[in-house]
Amino acid sequence: MTAELEAGPAVVVRPATAAAAGRTRGLLMALPPMVLIAFFIGFPVVLAFGFSLGFTGGLNRTIALIGQNVHTAHGIVPTLSAYAEMFTNARFLGDLVVTVVVTVVSTTIVIALAVGIGLYLKFSGGLIGKVLSALAVVPLFIPVVIASWAILGFYSANGFLRSVAAQFGVDFPIWSYTLVTVVIGSVWTSLPFATLLVSSGLQAVPQAMIDAARDAGASFWRVVASVVVPMAGVPIIIATTFTAIGILGSFTVPYFTGPNSPNMLGVDMSNYFSAFNQPQQAVVIAFIVFAIASGIAAVYVWANFRSAKESGAV
Amino acid sequence: MTTSVSGGLAIEGLHKVLGGRSIIHSLDMAVRPGELVSLLGPSGCGKTTTLRMIAGFLTPDAGSIKVGGREVVNLGPEHRPSAMVFQNYALWPHMTVAKNVGFPLKLRKRPKAEIAERVDAALTLVNLMHHKDSRPARISGGEQQRTALARALVQEPELLLLDEPLSNLDAKLRVKVREDIREIQQRLGITTVIVTHDQEEAMSVSDRIAVMNNGRIEQFSTPADLYSTPATEFVATFIGSLNRLEGRIEDGRVVPGAGVVGIRPEDVVFGPEAHPRGLAATVERVVPRGHFAELHLRREDAELRSYVTGVPPAVGTSGCARIEKWLEFEDGQLVGQGTPA
Amino acid sequence: MPRVLSRGVVVLLAAVLALFIIGPLAWLAVRAFAASWTYPDLLPDAWTLRWWSVVFSDRALGVAVQNSLFFAPITVLVSAAICLPAAYAFARFEFPGRRFFLIGVFAANSFPKMGLFVSLAALFYALNLMNTILGILVVHVLGTVVFMTWIPAAAFAAVPRSLEEAARDAGASKLRTFFSVTLPIALPGILVAAIMSFLSSFDEAQGTYLVGAPDYMTMPTQMYSLVLNYPTQVAAVFSILLAIPSVALLLAAHKHIVGGHLAEGFQIK
Repeated sequence: MTAELEAGPAVVVRPATAAAAGRTRGLLMALPPMVLIAFFIGFPVVLAFGFSLGFTGGLNRTIALIGQNVHTAHGIVPTLSAYAEMFTNARFLGDLVVTVVVTVVSTTIVIALAVGIGLYLKFSGGLIGKVLSALAVVPLFIPVVIASWAILGFYSANGFLRSVAAQFGVDFPIWSYTLVTVVIGSVWTSLPFATLLVSSGLQAVPQAMIDAARDAGASFWRVVASVVVPMAGVPIIIATTFTAIGILGSFTVPYFTGPNSPNMLGVDMSNYFSAFNQPQQAVVIAFIVFAIASGIAAVYVWANFRSAKESGAV
Repeated sequence: MTTSVSGGLAIEGLHKVLGGRSIIHSLDMAVRPGELVSLLGPSGCGKTTTLRMIAGFLTPDAGSIKVGGREVVNLGPEHRPSAMVFQNYALWPHMTVAKNVGFPLKLRKRPKAEIAERVDAALTLVNLMHHKDSRPARISGGEQQRTALARALVQEPELLLLDEPLSNLDAKLRVKVREDIREIQQRLGITTVIVTHDQEEAMSVSDRIAVMNNGRIEQFSTPADLYSTPATEFVATFIGSLNRLEGRIEDGRVVPGAGVVGIRPEDVVFGPEAHPRGLAATVERVVPRGHFAELHLRREDAELRSYVTGVPPAVGTSGCARIEKWLEFEDGQLVGQGTPA
Repeated sequence: MPRVLSRGVVVLLAAVLALFIIGPLAWLAVRAFAASWTYPDLLPDAWTLRWWSVVFSDRALGVAVQNSLFFAPITVLVSAAICLPAAYAFARFEFPGRRFFLIGVFAANSFPKMGLFVSLAALFYALNLMNTILGILVVHVLGTVVFMTWIPAAAFAAVPRSLEEAARDAGASKLRTFFSVTLPIALPGILVAAIMSFLSSFDEAQGTYLVGAPDYMTMPTQMYSLVLNYPTQVAAVFSILLAIPSVALLLAAHKHIVGGHLAEGFQIK
């Protein structure tokens, strides 16, 4: 009996206390960035959400006093009138459509380019492969402000493309201050991150899996479609969601290169906050964008879960 | 599952240079229809390179590869009538077991009903119907191996290629799976080439074995023949165990000479009583090997290893050891076999 | 790759991509040396270095350069101090709320930046953080948390436990094991995180403008007013200056900016 009691703690309880200690230490170590995020993102976002629903007391009092056209809730009953105002605003609705379209188009182009470059790197490599991947990473190191400014000039009325076309007597369209440059700028700035993520995902597909598919009789494109892309599916989905979320909330590119109207919601947010002094409307737009981003984020979380399931972890 | 019409494999003058180094030197090999042949050799001998050239993943610099009499050397792997089982099985993780097995048929645009039927037949053959809808990550190594085999067999290939098929299985499972592979191969009569570095594995499943070394086939023969009459010193040492001594044998004793003598441990007989053809010997070490034991014997002319069954003698025991049979090599080639006069 | 994509087509596509990526930058760079430029000429009418002296003699622009070079390294250090222990915890400990925290970092990152800064304004007024160095630092560090936790967490997780156990077995303390074995092996991943954080801070404009302007102008925020108030050439010169630190970083770190660390880091496990 005594012997059993002696053996018990030594064998069973010690690992348990070690795990408990790990739990406590892990939690303590993970806390600082979480507190930072909770205090400077979570808390203000909750406050702002309250503000968007018409709660103008407490910490929202100052901003509600300064701001114009503030919708106020009666007591504890939230009001959706600020949202209603935006959803009946034709200009806002137009910008919402523009934002979604620009995001979808740009993300599609970015992912297509990233997959193309990644596939070329995986199957051909060589000098061209190196050049392609180096080119795709360059925008990572150029501040977005400069990139927007440079792209604006390149496609402007007296820009490079029009100058070259003019040499041949062709009148090339002016793309500056149109949604075309917004898409071009979004693709330009989003390409490095997506390319890095996608090409490393493609590189990680084992050669044996590709050989096995070819041995089974698959053509090159069939190998790509049935084995390589599905096996790199999770990195591709992650790249897609991050690219889409980034473009959805972008400000600098559409602000510099886009038209006055219609433009993307990031610019509207800034305008409502600074130029129109209507902070509540700015916050409402933020939450509408966030709602769309959350939908995309759900895909990301699902993709991660699926990858865990495939590797047998769940 | 229908029996495949197997046409055999003929390789002639195969040559491959990789990274400036000659990996395969004008290799010839003919595998008869329905035969199971092993490519056996140490790592780096070129056996996997040869298999990958047969499968079409590598292009030879010279030579011809004929499957069923048809030249395939210029075809990509997807157009060759061969199917391969990969070393790590290479099962696609995003497809279920049945999807993995059915994929080759889907590529051949077979009707859905036919695919389902043939997948079921292949999975029944390897006894995996219960894991039909499992993902590869969820099944054991042995089951993954059988899935890979089913995926190859479902194509009804003229030629089945297996790259180290058992190297990732534990010892016990390995024996079981290799027997299964042999049984299925014989039942279907598929011409088969297996790459392995495990001589026991090669000996137990093959009709013939090609022993490879430095990009050449040292000997291509039946397992029994390789063991009893190894063509070269390399084959003799690689297949089975060998006492390798420099010199020659005269009157049952090893005397100095130019050649090399090889004696299988079972041809060294140790006993307590003196023997007219034997010499006095002492047991220096006893290594139990299961149903037999390996003795390290010291004689005045040489140290010899010997196999004994039953209760082995204790270390330090003195007795008499004689040589019943030996192989004679010169410049690495077999030049003669000796038995006591 | 099959012959389907013949070499010529690939080279053509690569050239188009090169024009797409490099073209605008080169076009802008040439502008920095242009006296005047007549459409549709492909080169300026005359060359000059005048715009460079304009930039170098402008005190405000110099201050912006100083501010940028102050905030970016400080941001990286502060962010590393706050986030690296958490990254290690994510990699090595199982604790309540671990998955929730990881997703929380991601959720925080997917809230539109402009919306966040607008929301942050009320809190910053209340805490007197408007127009303060601390306020700007908070904004910059917030943008780096996702890089500084996820990428190093994956790097720490990738260090084989057996290597740590071998060090412990050899007599190293837990702390010694961490600094002698775990950290050096995880360093490339941490470096990638530091570079991404530096670039994120160096690039941050919207938040810095809202919180810092006009007292604290960094290079990107200065660009906003430059574009509106100066000739195009001055903005071009300033752009080149603004790109120098990043390009230097690119050249110094190009070997380490491989997708592996990013890709590993961006999968929640």
